[in-house]
Amino acid sequence: MALNILVVDDSSVMRSIIIKTLKMTDLPLGDIWEAKNGQEGLRLLHEKWIDLALVDIHMPVMDGEEMIRHLRENQQYENLPVIVVSSESDPNKIEMMLRQGAMFIHKPFKPETLREVVIDMTGVNYEDKD
Amino acid sequence: MKTKIKSVLETSSVTTFEDVCFMYQVPELKKEQKKLKPDAVAEVKYKGDHTGRLVIEAYGDLFSAIAANMLSDESPSLHKKKDALGEIANIICGNVVASLGRSEKGYKIGSPRSLKKEEWLKEKKTDKPFAEISLNFNEGRVDIKFFVDGEISVKEKKIDKSSDC
Repeated sequence: MALNILVVDDSSVMRSIIIKTLKMTDLPLGDIWEAKNGQEGLRLLHEKWIDLALVDIHMPVMDGEEMIRHLRENQQYENLPVIVVSSESDPNKIEMMLRQGAMFIHKPFKPETLREVVIDMTGVNYEDKD
Repeated sequence: MKTKIKSVLETSSVTTFEDVCFMYQVPELKKEQKKLKPDAVAEVKYKGDHTGRLVIEAYGDLFSAIAANMLSDESPSLHKKKDALGEIANIICGNVVASLGRSEKGYKIGSPRSLKKEEWLKEKKTDKPFAEISLNFNEGRVDIKFFVDGEISVKEKKIDKSSDC
């Protein structure tokens, strides 16, 4: 199964780095969608078939915390795998994300770390590539 | 405290350049790469129990190389080059502020911005960094400076001491 992934970050450079790193994981990737804040991310989730969301915390308009809260309140997305990718170091904030069922990757990160967390969250692996 | 911050600044900077830019340090710069003025400077401000900023200065061809490596783009636009340098500053700052001790409200990291030459010269004259490091790469050098406004309080030192035990 190829994963359709949503990358939500207000920095276009950071989105490019995350996508580049995703491609280096050798995981089966389908379509990759980009959003620059939580609100855009939610809109794309309504429009597209998305299997996994990688979300930053600090963003204008709607931040990552609020976006995840909206997802968990909506039956359609309450189980959507979400990985928070951030340089946030506040343990309270990280704990809050984990309680919402999201996983956390601290920036900077290696492709291997991202790969492990994606596999953990979605169950896909290299064998699924074909 | 100063030694601890410098050590975190160095470790997080090296890791960021390796993991995000796929760039690795070299022991020394080539003579022709030792330029006196930076090609670009980016700044990120932080706010919490302490306030301050992190400044990153890119020398030589490093300014272009950072964006080229991060984005896999041979000739990135000036805008992208500035964004890439700013993102590096943002990531390093996020890692370093955590070592200032636990902030009740948490630390808020601002958006990165490019400094103009005159701003950089003015700040260089007036402010002394709390910790600074230099890293050499094949393409040039980067200086990273971490500033803390005011003094680090005694209360914070105590928290820091107890967390080390």
